[in-house]
Amino acid sequence: MVNRSPSHLNPIALLNVAGSDNVTTGFALFALLTFSHHPLILSPMSRESNQALIERWKDEPAPLLPLLHAFHNRDGYLSDDAIKAVSEGLRIPLAELFGTVTFYHHFSREAPGKAAPRVCTGNICCLHGGDDLLESLKDKGATPMPCAGRCDDMIPVIIGDKAYVGLGKDSLEHRATPIPAPNPGGSTECLFAHIREEGRNTLAGYRATGGYSALEKTLKDSTPEALIGLITDSKLAGRGGAGFPTGVKWKAVADAPGDPKAIVCNADEGEPGCFKDRAIMDHDPFALIEGMTLASFATGAPLGFIYLRYEYPETERLLEDAIEDARASGLIGENILGSGHTFHLYVRRGAGAYICGEEGSLLNSLEGKHPFPRNKPPFPVTHGYNDKPTAVNNVETLASVPHIVENGAQWYRDLGEGDHAGTKLISLSGDIQRPGNYEVPIGLPLSTLLYEWAGGPKEGRTVQAVTMAGLSGGFIAGEDLNITLDEPSIRSKGSFLGAGGIMVLDDSRDMVKAAHDAMSFFAHESCGKCFPCRIGTQRMTERLGGEANTLEPSAWIAEIEDIGSTMMSTSACGLGMAAPHVTKSLMKYFPEQVEAFLAKG
Amino acid sequence: MTEHRSDLAEQKLSTLTLDGELVEFTKGETIYEIANRHRKEVPTLCYDERLEAFGACRLCVVEVEGIRNPVASCTTAATDGMVIKTNTETIEKHRKTLLELVASENRNVDVNALSGYSSQEMTILVDRYSARTGRFSGKQSGTSNTGDKNPFILRDYDNCISCYRCVRVCAEREGDYAINVMNRGFHTQIITEFNNDLRDSNCTFCGQCVQTCPTGALGDKKALRDADTEGEIKKTRTICPYCGVGCSVDMLSKGDKIVGIQPAMDGPANEGALCIKGQYAFDFIQNDDRLAKPLVRREDGELHECEWDEALDRAAEGFKKVKDQYGRHAVYGIASGRAPHEAAYTMQKYIRATYGTNYIDNCSRS
Repeated sequence: MVNRSPSHLNPIALLNVAGSDNVTTGFALFALLTFSHHPLILSPMSRESNQALIERWKDEPAPLLPLLHAFHNRDGYLSDDAIKAVSEGLRIPLAELFGTVTFYHHFSREAPGKAAPRVCTGNICCLHGGDDLLESLKDKGATPMPCAGRCDDMIPVIIGDKAYVGLGKDSLEHRATPIPAPNPGGSTECLFAHIREEGRNTLAGYRATGGYSALEKTLKDSTPEALIGLITDSKLAGRGGAGFPTGVKWKAVADAPGDPKAIVCNADEGEPGCFKDRAIMDHDPFALIEGMTLASFATGAPLGFIYLRYEYPETERLLEDAIEDARASGLIGENILGSGHTFHLYVRRGAGAYICGEEGSLLNSLEGKHPFPRNKPPFPVTHGYNDKPTAVNNVETLASVPHIVENGAQWYRDLGEGDHAGTKLISLSGDIQRPGNYEVPIGLPLSTLLYEWAGGPKEGRTVQAVTMAGLSGGFIAGEDLNITLDEPSIRSKGSFLGAGGIMVLDDSRDMVKAAHDAMSFFAHESCGKCFPCRIGTQRMTERLGGEANTLEPSAWIAEIEDIGSTMMSTSACGLGMAAPHVTKSLMKYFPEQVEAFLAKG
Repeated sequence: MTEHRSDLAEQKLSTLTLDGELVEFTKGETIYEIANRHRKEVPTLCYDERLEAFGACRLCVVEVEGIRNPVASCTTAATDGMVIKTNTETIEKHRKTLLELVASENRNVDVNALSGYSSQEMTILVDRYSARTGRFSGKQSGTSNTGDKNPFILRDYDNCISCYRCVRVCAEREGDYAINVMNRGFHTQIITEFNNDLRDSNCTFCGQCVQTCPTGALGDKKALRDADTEGEIKKTRTICPYCGVGCSVDMLSKGDKIVGIQPAMDGPANEGALCIKGQYAFDFIQNDDRLAKPLVRREDGELHECEWDEALDRAAEGFKKVKDQYGRHAVYGIASGRAPHEAAYTMQKYIRATYGTNYIDNCSRS
């Protein structure tokens, strides 16, 4: 069995040229090492024809994204010729396909394209010098990218299909996704119970630590109804942020007419400050695959997709290999373990669009359509992938399922504090001693996580604020930091836990700037479909960036409040509804900083 | 009231409460359709009743009891027993804010009415909601493409509000898929493939995008030639003379001058659709080169004006000669699509009875 620890994916790419006087030389050496065995650099002889690429993908499920990636990999960018070929091959109108290609941040339309570095300038990376790193790589064609989901490490830089970490302005290193630190609280873990064990991300390692016994016993002794009953009983709820009861969702899919049904794993993890799904997929991928297989059994769905964000290139290969190994062992595919149950699972990689984490956009993206959100109702449980009943679940939700099957509903419910059921992964980052992923009992006091588990703020600093739900929940500060990590507690403060990203901002941080950075992200990611979000995020960004400081403070505040209220009430999807949490919480907790900012004129 | 309810229940009709009034509806109707039927004047900008509801402008939001946020009435199917409020103070405030936002991103709220059928929609709503407040000022969206070298469609995206009615009418009604949307968020831009000119795309210049545009971002270049011509715009309902479909059009005139054509949205044959000819090819009507008298070629080889008798005699002579020399099937008649039924009938009678051939057709069919 091959050891698939991501640190072994590219043993020779490890290069640290810190201290080199010549950045260019250092980079060239690094680039040489990296690209010498990279699929981007194919000799002209091996360049596959347009027709060959189209033939390979056109009859596969959800072919558009992988086909576009195939051209993007081949040429380094998507040429007019490539777009025309795809348009003809998949029979998508040319103007529509062109528009769709331009929607995705990471599809390049010209050289150096895919080979040029993309440097994370997300909120946390900017605290670490992301802007400086970007500047130092500008002569290599570097462009900024929004939060790439690695806030527990240094600044991620994606070059081709590799994610590096920028250690300084002339130093890049290819290294594995950090493994969660040993459980600091001593509470019982579910998702992270085995994640630190050596080889857990190989099939043999997974099975050696109890993996696949849940699927075996379910297929042998249980029924879809009983499995749905168990998951409902466990009170497992959507861990991507929406919190919808998983068992109820699965039952709706199982009961809905229409075939083939589908299980779609939302692994788009685009929320800034969230990197928990990456840890699961990189270090415990079979838990997700087994969870999806169990979901397919429960709902009767023979088809599944993992919609993975672009920014996790190594994870794509790792998941593909893991699925292949599971297939070779009869654990996925036709007639799983002789049970008669069939489940085919495919990985589809996004191309850089936060909105594709919204389930309607995600489904449109999978189907090769323009990734605008869909109008609801109907919901995906009745009209999902290809308008067939579909369960769209987050990675964390699905990866919890084998553990629940293994240990029982009661066990899972009891993992939470008090009346709260289960655990939640929290991605903690920013001005904190020990950033990283933590599995907390739902209901754990935030202060316990911040000070006891993660070591508190940096030396000599105090916690000024934390973000909630990555950025979507806005800020929590002051006495409200006494919340417990569960939805009722956090919602009582006007925010929400969401996907569980928490960024810490200490007392050295300018909160208006933090709000501006957050709103810039939402403006960058607004899809442009609905008016309140498309115009509102732009206007908010301008105002937080000082472009409207000629307004009287009272007029400035009234504008921010009116835009926020209309966005929250009338936006077509969660992006526009949530973005005003940023301004609302800024004004609630930091009116004096807003006042000082406006006084600057 | 209670009695009324039970009667309805017996008939198994669906009912809901609309601004306090119990109203009936058919399953499948959206809240907007019902509200519209009851003349609620719910504002919209992205809505065109011929297109699938899209839910972009959010102006049509209404309050539904039991649902926390207002819902877009255009995309929400009515359900039995719903209690709906279409114009509460809160809803009206959101609408005003939305219109102020739209006005703030747009360079011109006022556009010439010759731009297109729907071109005044935004102006009317902005005024109805007193939204010319100048609030929310900032960057303006859209990059104008007035350099597009086509003689028909003005592409002034300075005035585009990204409602995508043009994209949707092109796909859903015309089936051309010539235009789409590039980029996202505030940077969305309506484009053809590779952002080329319309004439290098699948565009057939049917003009439907122009006529559904609610801001005049897409304008009728031919009609706008007369933007500064004196006089009120007069609309005269007529039928397009070009082919046998019989599209209803409104002929636009200022004084005695025909300045443009707009499709009739209620035209039974076309429901707002036209083709390039019906939409734009009207210049011949008042063109100086148009023939006022028949012409015959005399011995000098030149064409000369003459009276109808001479012209008809000459034509008859020619036809007779051809038939005598080459036989009856040497004649083939094609009736003009611009001729009425009676003329078409006479034409086939003439060809069949006079020459004894069935070689007769109509240009609308070929």
